Amino acid sequence: MPYLGGEETVRELRRALSNPNVQSDQLRYRNTILKVIRAMSQGVDMSGLFSEMVKACATVDVVQKKLVYVFLCSYAALNPELSLLVINTLRKDCQDPNPMVRSLALRNMTNLRLPSLVEYVEQPLAAGLRDRAACVRRVAVLGWAKLHNLQASSEIDAAVVNELYSLLRDPDPVVMVNCLRALEEILKDEGGVAINKPITHHLLNRLKECDIWGQCQVLRVLQRYRPQSEDELFDILSLLDASLVSPHPPIMAATLSLFLSLCSGQPAVSLAALERVRGPLLAACGSGSREMRFTALCHIQLLLRSIPGLMGAHYKRFFCGYAEPAYIKQRKMQVLVELVNDENVAMLLDELKGYCTDVNAETAQAAITAIGRIGRSYSDRCLEILTGLLGLKQDHITSAVVQTMRDLVWVCPQCSDTVCFALEGCEETLQDSQGRQALLWLLGVYGERVSSAPYTLEVFIDGVRSEASLGVKMELLTATMRLFLCRPAETQDMLGRLLHYCIEEETDMCVRDQALLYYRLLHCGIEETRKVLQGRRSDPSLGVLIGRPAEPVSQWARSFNTLEPLRQGSIETESVSRGSPEHTMFDPKPNADLSNTLDCSRIEKVHSECVRCPTIPRCSPQSLQAAMQLVNIQTLAFTPPQTLPWRVYLYTHTCLDDAPHSTLILGELLYTGEEPQKAEVHKGSADGGVGAEGIEDDM
Amino acid sequence: MIHSLFLINHSGDIFLEKHWKSVISRSVCDYFFEVKEKAVDPENVPPVLQTPHHYLISIYRGKLFFLSVVQTEVPPLFVIEFLHRVADTFQDYFGECSEGVIKDNLVTVYELLEEMLDNGFPLATESNVLKEMIRPPNILRSVVNTLTGGSNVGDTLPTGQLSNVPWRRAGVKYTNNEAYFDVVEEIDAILDKSGTTVFAEIQGVVEACVRLTGMPDLTLSFMNPRLLDDMSFHPCVRFKRWESERVLSFIPPDGNFTLMTYHVSSQNLVAIPVYVKQNINFFETGSCGRLDITIGPKQNMGKTVEGLMVTIHMPKVVLSANLTATQGNYTYDLTTKVLVWDIGKLNPQKLPNLRGSLSMQAGAPKPEENPSLNIDLKIQQLAISGLKVSRLDMYGEKYKPFKGVKYLTKAGKFQRLSLSFL
Repeated sequence: MPYLGGEETVRELRRALSNPNVQSDQLRYRNTILKVIRAMSQGVDMSGLFSEMVKACATVDVVQKKLVYVFLCSYAALNPELSLLVINTLRKDCQDPNPMVRSLALRNMTNLRLPSLVEYVEQPLAAGLRDRAACVRRVAVLGWAKLHNLQASSEIDAAVVNELYSLLRDPDPVVMVNCLRALEEILKDEGGVAINKPITHHLLNRLKECDIWGQCQVLRVLQRYRPQSEDELFDILSLLDASLVSPHPPIMAATLSLFLSLCSGQPAVSLAALERVRGPLLAACGSGSREMRFTALCHIQLLLRSIPGLMGAHYKRFFCGYAEPAYIKQRKMQVLVELVNDENVAMLLDELKGYCTDVNAETAQAAITAIGRIGRSYSDRCLEILTGLLGLKQDHITSAVVQTMRDLVWVCPQCSDTVCFALEGCEETLQDSQGRQALLWLLGVYGERVSSAPYTLEVFIDGVRSEASLGVKMELLTATMRLFLCRPAETQDMLGRLLHYCIEEETDMCVRDQALLYYRLLHCGIEETRKVLQGRRSDPSLGVLIGRPAEPVSQWARSFNTLEPLRQGSIETESVSRGSPEHTMFDPKPNADLSNTLDCSRIEKVHSECVRCPTIPRCSPQSLQAAMQLVNIQTLAFTPPQTLPWRVYLYTHTCLDDAPHSTLILGELLYTGEEPQKAEVHKGSADGGVGAEGIEDDM
Repeated sequence: MIHSLFLINHSGDIFLEKHWKSVISRSVCDYFFEVKEKAVDPENVPPVLQTPHHYLISIYRGKLFFLSVVQTEVPPLFVIEFLHRVADTFQDYFGECSEGVIKDNLVTVYELLEEMLDNGFPLATESNVLKEMIRPPNILRSVVNTLTGGSNVGDTLPTGQLSNVPWRRAGVKYTNNEAYFDVVEEIDAILDKSGTTVFAEIQGVVEACVRLTGMPDLTLSFMNPRLLDDMSFHPCVRFKRWESERVLSFIPPDGNFTLMTYHVSSQNLVAIPVYVKQNINFFETGSCGRLDITIGPKQNMGKTVEGLMVTIHMPKVVLSANLTATQGNYTYDLTTKVLVWDIGKLNPQKLPNLRGSLSMQAGAPKPEENPSLNIDLKIQQLAISGLKVSRLDMYGEKYKPFKGVKYLTKAGKFQRLSLSFL
């Protein structure tokens, strides 16, 4: 409606505004102006009325003034010449006895944002800084920042900066905070306000007088301060202690952020601060506003990176409510995965199981992925749930389950038997390309154990003509090749058909080239092909990805209370929908920081030791693995279950972030299985290649 | 900090925009609309979106999006809290925060936004201060204004702004001096199939309505303050005294305000006021099912449970429900598959029961999951946590005020799970 009648409305309003009868009746005049504003806010272009509105500005009615100012500030940029007319009225208003009128005029004078008007604005602004009413000073201080934004390149008047610095000691707290804000903007190139000891102590002493917005601003600026002595540091910290548990989440977050930056050299103090904010953060997680809950959750994820056990006892707080929005549910699941331990695993899995059937497909998939993550430590229970979910025959659930199983098998090859058994028959419910790709990968890699694999592939090959997804076609080619290597008799015929189709009829270059490559590879002989295609079945870094070691606080302290942690989630969810594991997972993340620093020439000492363990109560490899992760021992590799002798290779390293050296310990666990009730744990390199060595390495 | 604000309604129209720095084109919201389109349900739009040049931080309240555009790195909690404050202020001024109301009071809205933020920084957000600068609209005043040509803008400088007590205006006068407190508690609980509590928590709030002359200094003490786990107070409460003596000592703001909110989360303290016996079966053959629900009182401390309501989200295959209720009435919404049973007052002599048959889509497989129940209830004159106000004292003024405390318990997120799939 408003977009169509625009022209007509403007003409009608212009007639009304210039009608002397309307102008003389204050009420009618104001109502006409109101109509203009209303039309403006609906998106109609009202800039044609500029000169009429400038005239309307000269009035004693404060409401009318305010309305006209709203209009002028929106359209000033389009009519710089006409705006010059307004300046006169505004400057006169700056002399008004009523401080409200003065501040209003000053604010709007700076809001016009026209570089041509700067020379007229400077004088009233300078007077405003010395006004006796605080509300005028508040506006004037920020006015200088606006003026600076207008002409960022121009020289900053040193006198003004000095005056702003002295206004930091203004009796009105808002003026003080506004000065900080203005100076931050004006001195951006010099790194913001100079924060020295007197200013810091002044700001800290007046912190309590500010409103919550002011407190946040002050706390943020103070992050740049470096205390000169330890005593001073602890004085500041004890002063801030009350704000750390403030009921206002913004203040709490800003204080913690300040704590972390002040204590960057004192990890123990930082950790104590994190413990202290647990309560307020949990309260923010239960707050009435869902946006607040979401942000608090994201920040809790950051904290958990340093203290994985921080929220252990409160895991129930992260159970999802029925009506919560999807983005909160997904975050909560990410947190739940981090909180899993022996005692709550049953309860957590039960809860996550309930989310798998959520109406929102994305939430359901996130829940299934979460179960898969827990499956890395508790594979038996999780696989049971996942196979159960396949029985539901829902296409999005099946797809997510198959993808999760693929990822799980890649990390924990010991699960492959269960997965292979579960795969039978699920191809009927799979609809989307991601799920089918995952299925094809599994069939290719574990084809010899899935009896129906050739038949499943045959269905795919028969339908390859109508296949739209490029990824599925590529995966199908590789899977068929792999299956051919282990079950040639059943697969030869269909492989021929597939290669023929892909080389002769396929239009997509990628698929055609891949097929040609395989075709030529087969010409080179079966051994050659096997070498190329029989790649790894699992992640080369194996269990390393599972429990991540506690990171030092300094790793994430900078991103606390910024938008950074809120963004991370989107990256993580993207990585869920990816192709086969070997294409993307080859960059071993946890090893990245080791590989470039681990240099054999630098190994200084090698300790070798052998420990013989008398008796170990019988337990499954998975629970042993999980138990060791709790004490920060990670698994590098282990032999498949039920093989003898059974071996695990382990590593652990010290994680003192400030120490120049860090120690890496490698070890081997050997179970000979001679007597069923006895196990031996060796640490050392004495006999039979059982070794543990300590490597001291510069980091 | 906050560059611009857009108000967007349920169907995706921008109906108000305000810029505090340079004008940003409306097209920036297109990124938001794209995500909103994808999310289907407006509740599922994530609060922070990244565009090539801006961040969009939004909150969703009362079917409106408050979308702020931010150009630099900001503390997200700060912006979210501020947007909620804006919405709270609208609510406070106009009684509700909806598109119609905002459009009707466009002028006041612009004035408020202008006062609340300057150059993107929060300026005056305390409702008492704002109310002195811009008076809230009411019928009497608009009639007077029309007759006299007066305005709703105060022409004096707000006095409270420079006083020691920024939340209270000076020179308050009443003929009737009264102070009323409402203790409202919501139980959030999840019970499992067997009726044992999985999770229970009480979210409590003490709302106050204080109309007292002058500068009264109040002290409110509780019989059992140690019940409370984590609290958050109105800024007027002296935190030191609460920490040392466990009493609330404060100079109250004038009018209605939230004095404190609290949690009680220790499970043994949370009494569950009703019990539910439920039996929902789906038969293998004949495409029908049976439903039987009975509700009875549990720990309600001798008070009557009122406003009882049960909501069940049925599986998709349930076509209709043919039930009889011994008390109250039920509706089954065919499109959303929600069964609502409105019971009303719970009579402990004659327990309400709902039973009957469910008919399902023919040929559809038996639903794998049993639905969960959401329960809604109210108990007057009882704070279920057992929190009691013992006394209210007033210092600093001579007169005797009227005092009163009211208790109310409600069900918040009260869920009973009956997971039985697999």
